[in-house]
Amino acid sequence: MQVQFKDVTMSYGDKEVLQKISFTIPEGKLVSILGPSGCGKSTTLMLISGLTFPSNGQIFFGDKEVTKYDAVKRKVGMVFQNYALYPHLSVLENIMFPLKMEKMPKKQRQKRALELAQLVQIEDHVDKKPKQLSGGQQQRVAIARALAKEPSILLMDEPLSNLDARLRIEMREEIRRIQQKTGVTTVFVTHDQEEALSISDEVMVLNEGAIQQNSDPITLYKKPKNRFVAQFLGTPIINTIGIEDYPEVLERLNISEEIKQNIETIGLRAEEILTTENKENALFEGIVSHVARVGKDTTVHVKNKEKELVATNLTIIPLEDTEIYLTAQMKDIHFFDHKGQVIEVKEVVMA
Amino acid sequence: MIEKPTLKSSLKSLLYIAPMMLIITTFNLYPIIRSFLMSFYTDFNIYTQEVNEYGISNFIEVLQDPEFILAIRNTFIFVLGVVPASIIISLGIAVLLNKIKVLSGFFRSIYFLPFVTSTVAISIVWSWIYHSRFGLMNYALGLIGIEPIEFLTDPKYSMLALVIMAIWKGLGFNIILFLVGLNNIDENYYSAAKIDGARGWERFTNITIPLLGPTMFLVSVMGVINSFKVFDEVFALFQSRPGPAGSALTVVYYIFQKFYQESQYGIAAAAGIVLFLIILVFTLIQMAFNKKFVHY
Amino acid sequence: MEEIRGKKVPILMKWFKPKTKDKTQLVTVGDKYTRAVAYVLLTIGAFTMLIPFLWMVSTSLKSPAEAVSMPPIWIPKSFKVENFLKAFEVAPFGRYFLNSVLITSLSTIGELLTTILAAFAFAKMQFYGKNLLFTILIATMMVPGELLIIPNYLTISRLGLINTYAAMIVPYVASVFSVFMLKQNFESVPNELYYAAKVDGSSDFKFLWTIMVPLSKSAIVAVSILKIIGSWNAFMWPLIVTNDRMLRPLPVGLQAFTTEAGTQYELLMAASVIVVAPMVIIYLFLQRYIIMGVSKSGLKG
Repeated sequence: MQVQFKDVTMSYGDKEVLQKISFTIPEGKLVSILGPSGCGKSTTLMLISGLTFPSNGQIFFGDKEVTKYDAVKRKVGMVFQNYALYPHLSVLENIMFPLKMEKMPKKQRQKRALELAQLVQIEDHVDKKPKQLSGGQQQRVAIARALAKEPSILLMDEPLSNLDARLRIEMREEIRRIQQKTGVTTVFVTHDQEEALSISDEVMVLNEGAIQQNSDPITLYKKPKNRFVAQFLGTPIINTIGIEDYPEVLERLNISEEIKQNIETIGLRAEEILTTENKENALFEGIVSHVARVGKDTTVHVKNKEKELVATNLTIIPLEDTEIYLTAQMKDIHFFDHKGQVIEVKEVVMA
Repeated sequence: MIEKPTLKSSLKSLLYIAPMMLIITTFNLYPIIRSFLMSFYTDFNIYTQEVNEYGISNFIEVLQDPEFILAIRNTFIFVLGVVPASIIISLGIAVLLNKIKVLSGFFRSIYFLPFVTSTVAISIVWSWIYHSRFGLMNYALGLIGIEPIEFLTDPKYSMLALVIMAIWKGLGFNIILFLVGLNNIDENYYSAAKIDGARGWERFTNITIPLLGPTMFLVSVMGVINSFKVFDEVFALFQSRPGPAGSALTVVYYIFQKFYQESQYGIAAAAGIVLFLIILVFTLIQMAFNKKFVHY
Repeated sequence: MEEIRGKKVPILMKWFKPKTKDKTQLVTVGDKYTRAVAYVLLTIGAFTMLIPFLWMVSTSLKSPAEAVSMPPIWIPKSFKVENFLKAFEVAPFGRYFLNSVLITSLSTIGELLTTILAAFAFAKMQFYGKNLLFTILIATMMVPGELLIIPNYLTISRLGLINTYAAMIVPYVASVFSVFMLKQNFESVPNELYYAAKVDGSSDFKFLWTIMVPLSKSAIVAVSILKIIGSWNAFMWPLIVTNDRMLRPLPVGLQAFTTEAGTQYELLMAASVIVVAPMVIIYLFLQRYIIMGVSKSGLKG
């Protein structure tokens, strides 16, 4: 089911955790809410679930307003960060619990729970207690439980954060598989950009209680709307060059003068930096301060005064302490104004 | 970090534990063994403390003594009257206390107050409340149209009087333990249960009660043990008598009578051992129950 | 319950602080209606709990006629404070009071000394048979204290201590329960601190009193208060080992007073107030520690 927020504000005491946010989560999609800790992403999830209520604004499921409905009435499914599996119930009983609350007959309950156990591939452990399971297995049970009552919306609160790195990737794909198989509208909260980009149909980036950008992962990465999004996504972090300290950058770009005045910073992704022979074409020149090789990847650090740029995709491997000229294609350069917002810049074709 | 004990460190430690061990050995360890032995004294001179004969006749006598059987019966009635009711009431109060924020500590203080008071003093207060003519209880009952009850002189009501007072006195202790137990339940389980569609009462029966299992076990074991040992209340409530016509004679009161008033040490010790065994059996049953139903 | 063992006192205290105001907390506080019902029920319950106390204090200030008036009078016309003076005249309550103070303070101080030393040895020192000895001690907590009264009476009489203060004090200057509680606390003091003190040339004894004891203050206070309450209210044992009226502590004296005062309920209630009030006052000031001690005692099982 489609979820819609209209001007939702959430404050605890004087503190505004969410400031008038509005968004729509389309039906059947997997949408991530991404942001640093304290940005309000978990609060957003709690608001969808009905475990907490907004100070202002409206929430809709489909066409129906559910703002005042509590969690019991909203009937969403939810996977908690620490799974919150009932420790006194077996795996099967955990999965059956929501069905028991729906007063579904016992036989039917068991049948449905076993199907779900198969879906999440936990059918060999149905009689165990949660304590006897590994983290990944508990995660699977939590998903099965959340799906048991066929919720129209599935919520996941940092579901992978308690797993080790390898398991995290496995479960990530697992969640994607299950979501696609069931087609349930899923909201996935995470602070891990890689997780969000790899799993979602759409990503909503939150910071300080406001939506920064809401788009598909590729647009988000390629066309960030502001400096926060640009810097939050991508490893290594995007290189930024302040115009004030390096005025020569603008001189070497073919853009109109009036736009140049608004530009405060430019951003260059490490993998999009190129080398050039020609100093006149260079956006940045400096001394190679460090070359790090890890496996097949080479990371080059180039330093000029205080500023250090990181490039990961150079066609040559320079020697340390040599001078180097760096540039990038015009389409790969991000321009930000003094508020951190992106400026659309078209290259002026030289006559 | 763990060092191995050496002769030197052991001797030094001995100095630290010696004062405590001296007292505990004399007044705790030795008497346990001695009371066990005493229960087998059949011919004992109290003045010279010489034992002339051992045997099991004390046990036979105790178990055939109708007074003792009565004491056991009364004690069981007391335990059954106090423990379940106290658990239900104190759990209810603890849950309510957990629901509110303002004044929660204030209420807790009031409920716990009886715990710090002298059982003797408060029993005397209750005997005044139970007074057949001028007591508050009969006045209150009169208001709802019930004839005055001779709580302290009618054998039919003496146990009831004792049970009501004991529940009142013990509530605070159980409430504190339940509050600790409730606080140890992760809030996430309640959130999950709400998401899973469990309403207030369903959350209570499906989450609170099972997760409170260990506390429930603890409270019931301690309640049973303490209730089996009831004495001060009886002594003070019924003015140094085991209730009208022995109707509130409890096992510890029986031991007290045999030992202090009749100087039948062997009999008293045997009754004490029987009491100990009863408590032990009850505790073991509760432990088995706990193991079967409280496992996670 | 296991994971609670060995944790620090500050962690214990945490249970009684209001939970942190995180998002989940907001969720669980019941809605307005439930809370209103909770307040009503709790108020009724609290009032019921207080009735015996109110009735005791009220009666203790009444004239004899008011005490037996029907319907009951809650607030007497004039407060008869002289009931208390009369109680002191009819029975030596002043003496009982001093006896109680003496017995309670000496057994508390004695218990603290023996148990602090022993708990330290069990917590931080190494000696042969430590675990076995500790297990035996814990096992003795299972045995009902009433079982020990008969042999202890014989021991005391053999020592010639019947009818002495010592009879009421000496058996109670050590307690396994207190050793257990303090040991748990001492163990939570990091070993590094102990080794650092040793390196600095501090003796074990000095370390115990200058570092360990101050660090475990709240646990020691909790143990002491539970001891004070238990000792002040003790009844059966003092009753058995004293015949001399002048040695009686308050509860025994009060019990005897019920026959002496007969039907003068206002005097009886005044005497009860004298017995109950000191512990209520201690409770009002130090209830934090009492409740901590009780909840920890619940965890020993």
